[in-house]
Amino acid sequence: MENVIEIKNLKKYFGTVKAVDDISLNVKKGQLFAFLGLNGAGKSTTINILVGILEKDSGECLINNKSIENINAILPEIGIVFQSSILDKNLSVYENLKYRAMMYDLTNEQFEKNLTFFVENLEMKDILTKPLDKLSGGQKRKVDIARALIHKPSILILDEPTTGLDPKTRSLVWQLVNNLRKKENLSVLLTTHYMEEAVESDFVVIMDNGKIVATGTPNQLKNKYANDYVKLFNYDKKILKILEKEKITFQKNKEFLLIEFKNTMLAKNFVVENKHLIFDLEILKGKMDDVFLNVTGKNLKENL
Amino acid sequence: MKSELKKMKYLISRNIKLYFKDKFTFFVSLITPFILFILFVTFLKTTYENNLEAIIQNYSVNKKIINAFTGGWLFSSVLSTSCITVAFCSGMMVLDKITKANIDFCVSPVKNSTLQISYVVANLITTLIVCSILFFIGLLYLTFIGFYLSFSDIILIVFNMILTSLLGCLIANIIWTFASSQGVVSSVCTLISAMYGFICGAYMPINTMGETIKNVTVFFPGTYATLLFRKGFLNGTLNEMGKTLPNEMVEEIAKSFDCSFKFFGNSVSTATMFLVLIGSITIFFIILFLVSKLKRKSK
Repeated sequence: MENVIEIKNLKKYFGTVKAVDDISLNVKKGQLFAFLGLNGAGKSTTINILVGILEKDSGECLINNKSIENINAILPEIGIVFQSSILDKNLSVYENLKYRAMMYDLTNEQFEKNLTFFVENLEMKDILTKPLDKLSGGQKRKVDIARALIHKPSILILDEPTTGLDPKTRSLVWQLVNNLRKKENLSVLLTTHYMEEAVESDFVVIMDNGKIVATGTPNQLKNKYANDYVKLFNYDKKILKILEKEKITFQKNKEFLLIEFKNTMLAKNFVVENKHLIFDLEILKGKMDDVFLNVTGKNLKENL
Repeated sequence: MKSELKKMKYLISRNIKLYFKDKFTFFVSLITPFILFILFVTFLKTTYENNLEAIIQNYSVNKKIINAFTGGWLFSSVLSTSCITVAFCSGMMVLDKITKANIDFCVSPVKNSTLQISYVVANLITTLIVCSILFFIGLLYLTFIGFYLSFSDIILIVFNMILTSLLGCLIANIIWTFASSQGVVSSVCTLISAMYGFICGAYMPINTMGETIKNVTVFFPGTYATLLFRKGFLNGTLNEMGKTLPNEMVEEIAKSFDCSFKFFGNSVSTATMFLVLIGSITIFFIILFLVSKLKRKSK
């Protein structure tokens, strides 16, 4: 699959702070690519370099095989949704979208056609003539997404796009993004704090202190970095002695016994060896939260 | 090129629309020079009438002409300062930085020069709208107290109004390139409002200033803008005075009230004044271009 974004040895320092420290990565066409990291990890700095807001210190960034040195040539191929809305609050939704669309040299007919698509797909008909500052947070985010995609780019960059959205709007946003991915083969570069969004990605990069500390598909990362759990609901008490003897970590409460294993194979072997003591069980794969914790030593939720 | 012009058209339209959507800012921009004019007429008109009568002494001049002269002088002062102060207070560049809308344009395929020019042009249009309303009020006022403006005087004033506003917009946008908060905007606007009228000879005739200050003011392009407004508003009245007063006296009045001007002993013609203004505009345009380029490189 061809690369739509290629980053090679990218560096950006702010004085002594190494915001982005020699990172390399590729985003493939049609891929949902997730950036995971705490605030200050370097995710937004990388995105800001890609879209021309910041200049890199060194390294190479290519978008659709074109260098970002000539940023105006690649910006029509990118749509970006920022962490918070940066549209004009005193203008109506229609005016905001029209003024922004015209920066991409769209004709009035093209704009109206694209607008109709988003009005229908994002349920924006009722808010089109309203000023932006009269909209709810969810409605504003819809407009932000429509603004990012109004020129039908091939790459969509989402910088924590669903933060603060209600579940219905979040689902609506993802429905639209996924539809576009299928229909238009849209490539998506996502930064998020929501693990359920990262787990849906095709590829995940975890950043910490400006460096890439882990890469892979969610499954590869979980297999490599997350623990597996065996949850026993009905069991023979003798199993507790075995766990203590073999020094296996576990938690016990009234409902169940939760046993932690480094990987699936160890969990499977334990269950097979002790099947005569286990009557009701559930095997759980590790979550992305565990991956993040094990890779960075930091708890994502606690640091938000 | 055609594409950038189209983008510029929409950016200018957006900036103007945003300015007028904020009715409070528009109202304040309009009311401030109007209040200044009322204060001038209330507190200074009599003083200038007395100064004029002191020159005229025993000659008899129609009261209407004296009213037209002092009214025109005061109004030229207000219009001269307003072209600059309104330009400073009606720019969209800092507002875009505060709301971060500038980032949205940064990630759009629009050239930095297109963006900068659109800020200046939108700023110029809003300034001209406010100043034109003010000019219309001034013409109405002069119609009531004594109107001696010819068509060419009005053309001179309008042309000068465009150039002075453009000069103000360029200087304002150079400063706004380095500003990013409302606090800085308010401070600069207050400073400009307080200082500009004095340093460009709008609040008091340059002729009454000390020699050192006089020598400094001749290097400010704003001084020439004020002098051109004086010429536009007072040429007709001076011609009318010439019908009843000796030429030397009219020249003395013109000199005392900055209707004629000398640069280190050399008379400065109207055309030279316009050239100074156009030259200054060109220089400030180049500075704005360089500053924007430098600022973009330092990201």
